[in-house]
Amino acid sequence: MSDLFDLPFEEDPETLTTEPEPEAPAPTRRIFTVTELTVRVRDHLEERFFEVWVEGELSGVRLYNSGHLYFTLKDSSSLLKGLMFRSALRYLKFKPADGLHVVARGKLSVYEPKGEYQIVCEHLEPQGLGGLQLAFDQLKTRLQAEGLFDIAKKRPLPALPRKIGVVTSLDGAAIRDILKVLRRRYRNVHVVIRPTRVQGEGAAAEIAHGLRQIVKVPHVDVVIVGRGGGSLEDLWAFNEEPVARAIAISPIPVISAVGHESDVTIADLVADVRAPTPSAAAELVVARKEEFSGRIDRLHERLVSCARARVQRLSRRVHELSGRRALAGYTTRLAMTQRRADELTRALTDSLRTAFTVRTRRLQVTERRLDAFDLGRRLARNRAALVGVDARLRQTVVARTHRARARLGAFAGRLDSLSPLAVLARGYAVCWNDDRTRAIRDAADVSAGDTIHVTLSRGSIAAKVSDVE
Amino acid sequence: MSSPSDNTIRDFEAAIAELESIVKKLEDGDLSLEQSLALYERGVTLSKFCHARLEDAERRIELLSERGELRPAPAGLSGDDPNR
Repeated sequence: MSDLFDLPFEEDPETLTTEPEPEAPAPTRRIFTVTELTVRVRDHLEERFFEVWVEGELSGVRLYNSGHLYFTLKDSSSLLKGLMFRSALRYLKFKPADGLHVVARGKLSVYEPKGEYQIVCEHLEPQGLGGLQLAFDQLKTRLQAEGLFDIAKKRPLPALPRKIGVVTSLDGAAIRDILKVLRRRYRNVHVVIRPTRVQGEGAAAEIAHGLRQIVKVPHVDVVIVGRGGGSLEDLWAFNEEPVARAIAISPIPVISAVGHESDVTIADLVADVRAPTPSAAAELVVARKEEFSGRIDRLHERLVSCARARVQRLSRRVHELSGRRALAGYTTRLAMTQRRADELTRALTDSLRTAFTVRTRRLQVTERRLDAFDLGRRLARNRAALVGVDARLRQTVVARTHRARARLGAFAGRLDSLSPLAVLARGYAVCWNDDRTRAIRDAADVSAGDTIHVTLSRGSIAAKVSDVE
Repeated sequence: MSSPSDNTIRDFEAAIAELESIVKKLEDGDLSLEQSLALYERGVTLSKFCHARLEDAERRIELLSERGELRPAPAGLSGDDPNR
């Protein structure tokens, strides 16, 4: 029995080649052990592909406790197993993750226990913009974990900033846009600009330093940091950690204004408020002023109208009391009340006068503002449009009425022409039998002596038939 | 008596908040005449203060240097340049 299991291919290959089996007598036949073949394949692969570059998408990325990284590289139709030892992994600037498109450098080898060939990577790099994107994602994840983006940490903008800080380049469009908007909408603004570079090596450090400085200037209550639009590379400084940190530690609210609506930068995420463009940032600061001045005006009006109502109530009461003076015996008390009321009325009137002066001034300002909006002309335009519509409507109705009336007339005419009365009007007559149930159409229907009735256009005649012809 | 530098008013935000609560109290009524009057007067003071604060800053543009020094911005930048 034992020699049945003593299979030839488990023996030494040298022995096998020297002793060919009788059924397959080919002299060139050589049988390897699996290991032998695998080793050969491995040697061959390692020799032929000792340094290759291969690109593909990472998937099944797993970091083992040993510190080695295992993954699969794939494209639309093939897979390649890969691994990267801890020693090489140390030098990577990004963290490999599923779905990343990478270029791998390494040598091909075979993992003998599984008979799988694989690439042993010495270096991996993300392809295209992937590198920046990756750095972005990774910084974002880290800062998020630290809580730098927490909504709870976002501070409201000051109602009325005494000074507005701006950190940006003096050469870009951003500063001009900001100043233009501020000049147009917030005449008496005080701006402190900290000029910095906003792109290129070292820009992030400059921006961060500028931010740390400007927040210390007395009375700067809010800071705009940003630049105009550009490519992802141009905006990169706003994705770097020093800028994020400087924004995060700012004691005053920071508005980020990186001119690129679609890409959110790290600075945007850390800032208290994100404006899509520098102009928008300036508008955010200015809008607050207008909002508040309107609010004060409304509060003031309510205050004054409360006071006025109070005065009116008071004088009514004084009136009533004086009317009752003769009846009631409280002359002294009433006199005192009257005096008190008079005093208070005077005090109120004085206050009201002051208030009216202030209010009138506000009203004038508001009116000027309204004028600026040219509301009047707009209203007039709308009214003219309305009048036009009205006239058109009326014309339409009148025209339709005319048409309806004309059609009615035509119908009436046709009805008339069908009416027997119209025929009678032309001199014809209708003869009826005696009981007026039938019109007589045939002379044979009557006999001499019958009474018949003749209907004329006007009136009718009863007649006797004297003869039938 | 009720100048914008009234030291009973902390700042603009506080003034607005106080003004709002005063108006609310007055509108709710139920106050003695003296109380109403006092509130009214305080309200007028606050409202004046707020308006003054809105208008009192002067238009100014300054540059902050790397060494932390402030100097006026060139006229061309500030947009007051008539050629712009």
